[in-house]
Amino acid sequence: MTKTITEQKLRSLMDLLLKEGRRVVAPRQAGSIVLYEPIDSGEQLVLGIMPRRSAKETFFPLCETILTYGKDGNGVMVSDVDAGAFPETILVGAPPCDAAAPAVLDAVFSWDYNDEFFLERRKKTIIIGLACTAADDACFCTAVGLSPRDDKGSDLFLTPVAGGGYLCDAVTKKGKVFLDTYASFLAGGEAKPLPSAEPAATPLDLAGIKDWLESNFESPLWQEFADRCAGCGACAFLCPVCHCFDIVDEGTETKGARRKSWDACGFGKFTNHASGHNPRDIQNKRYRNRIMHKFKYYQDKFGQTLCTGCGRCVRSCPVGIDIRAVLEEIQAKP
Amino acid sequence: MQQNHTQLADDSYFAAVTNAIRTETTKLLSEGTVAAVIGYQAGTRAGTVIPTIITDAAKAGDLVFSPGCVNNLALYLTKAKKEVRPAGKVAIIAKGCDMRALAGLLGESQLKREELHIIGVACVGVKGAGAGSGEALTTGTIARKCRECTVRAPEGADVVVGAVPPLPEFSPVEAEELARLEAMTPAERWAFWKGHFSRCIRCMACRQVCPFCYCEQCLCDRNRPQALETTPRPAGNMAWHIVRAMHLAGRCAGCTECERACPMDIPLNLLNRKMARELKTLYDFEAGLVPVEKGPLTEYREEDDQSFIK
Ligand code: SF4
Ligand code: SF4
Ligand code: SF4
Ligand code: SF4
Repeated sequence: MTKTITEQKLRSLMDLLLKEGRRVVAPRQAGSIVLYEPIDSGEQLVLGIMPRRSAKETFFPLCETILTYGKDGNGVMVSDVDAGAFPETILVGAPPCDAAAPAVLDAVFSWDYNDEFFLERRKKTIIIGLACTAADDACFCTAVGLSPRDDKGSDLFLTPVAGGGYLCDAVTKKGKVFLDTYASFLAGGEAKPLPSAEPAATPLDLAGIKDWLESNFESPLWQEFADRCAGCGACAFLCPVCHCFDIVDEGTETKGARRKSWDACGFGKFTNHASGHNPRDIQNKRYRNRIMHKFKYYQDKFGQTLCTGCGRCVRSCPVGIDIRAVLEEIQAKP
Repeated sequence: MQQNHTQLADDSYFAAVTNAIRTETTKLLSEGTVAAVIGYQAGTRAGTVIPTIITDAAKAGDLVFSPGCVNNLALYLTKAKKEVRPAGKVAIIAKGCDMRALAGLLGESQLKREELHIIGVACVGVKGAGAGSGEALTTGTIARKCRECTVRAPEGADVVVGAVPPLPEFSPVEAEELARLEAMTPAERWAFWKGHFSRCIRCMACRQVCPFCYCEQCLCDRNRPQALETTPRPAGNMAWHIVRAMHLAGRCAGCTECERACPMDIPLNLLNRKMARELKTLYDFEAGLVPVEKGPLTEYREEDDQSFIK
């Protein structure tokens, strides 16, 4: 039977989870914008606004220490970070384009190497997705195989209903167990879902686009698409599925840390070799990599598209590059 | 609070500017005066634009001017974009604030005046942060910088297009914010910036769109050895923003591209303005008014204030 939960009950549930010692990550006001951040009370939960950065940082933080080192008269000591000590986490309020992303990333983070930091956080997190009732002019989830009602990647899925509150559906076993545990917060009964968001997205022929990419690595179109690209990290950093990172040692001779932090293929130094040679020496080659990785390489390797249509790159690009326009132009080519 | 906002300039102003730009572009390209024109073309979302470089007179009709023309196109003339800058003389669409950047770049010997054809726009203003892509230019949506603009009528351009209609008085929102900051105690100011910089993700959009961040090796990217922490943590973020402010002091043209590009809404121009104010007080210098070969921070003069050397 369908369950419902009122907004107030949802907030009280978050309070209880916090009291039980869980980490709760949710859209929360941060200065003038909304970001996914750990909340300290259910009151802080902001529902229905897409956070500026994606939910990927719940699993793949902007920056994390992977080991620390110290050196004294007696020698060097290195200590690893214990991923096993990561806290049980509830990620709540993620729209489908964010909720679906970690599942896409599982493939790469457990491919030739098991990234324990990512995988441990995945194991310990319950994702409570939230259906979208409003899209803006950058949203295009429907063009890449998702929808504002898609529960892909969610353990539990909330759908706003008329008059306030949410339908609450268990999607996975983990979600079902969670629902059973906290059944007292839920009510039964019928409720009418609010109309779904309707992104005005042109359908994309992802297979056709991939075909074009196969044979157009050297196309002059790349210049047309991306000569204007400024080479920043805005699109990649805000993207829920971009996952490149850099590893640096920071500190002094006697004490420091090895840190992993987000990187972006748009940066000029991204492929700079120690020899000084840079195979992606100009910006449009870097942008080409962005498109190739998302719509060809990730398909080749993992059978998935590395884009959930969240539109963040469209909204944030300082020079107005719209990935949809690029893809639409590609699919219009023979 | 809901306020009544008046629309600034009707569509005929933008249509006139757009037409004048197209006419000038057609002339320049068909007569071979320039090899290319750097301008704006319509973006995919209503009211947005993308920078474009046009080399064919037949494409002049693609160019537009609208309240969404936020970019400072001077970026595309810098060393940072050397791969896209066409050889030979180039025309560029420049608003008053963009022209200040051009003046700065000329002064720094990054550009040669004779290789430039500047199409200056007599400018009403552009839209600021928070304005929806489809919204009109109003007293509510106009960018903060434009509320206090002193260069609406660009000087020193090869041709000026458009005529600025009468505009209302704008309250100086940013100057007020700066005054508020200056009135704070150092501890409060530190907390203010710490809060903002805690959101910095080091995406470098602020650097990448800045016409003056053309260094081929940015100090902040150095890793052999690292000059400052590159990871987005409090120490490195603070260091990065101090480096940025210092390297742009006396150079920043006030186009506020850094602040516009910042996806984390960090009010970077407050720092730029503060530095500009210091330069004005200490050296009676204002960047970007006329090309000067050496700014105050790269030049030594006998009469410079030395009281800080103890
Ligand atoms: S590529 Fe753009 S639209 Fe697609 S998931 Fe990433 S940020 Fe969102
Ligand atoms: S596409 Fe836009 S956001 Fe992405 S690197 Fe280029 S300028 Fe930055
Ligand atoms: S600051 Fe002045 S010149 Fe620049 S866009 Fe605004 S009104 Fe136009
Ligand atoms: S654009 Fe904003 S978030 Fe990005 S590096 Fe600059 S200040 Fe930080």
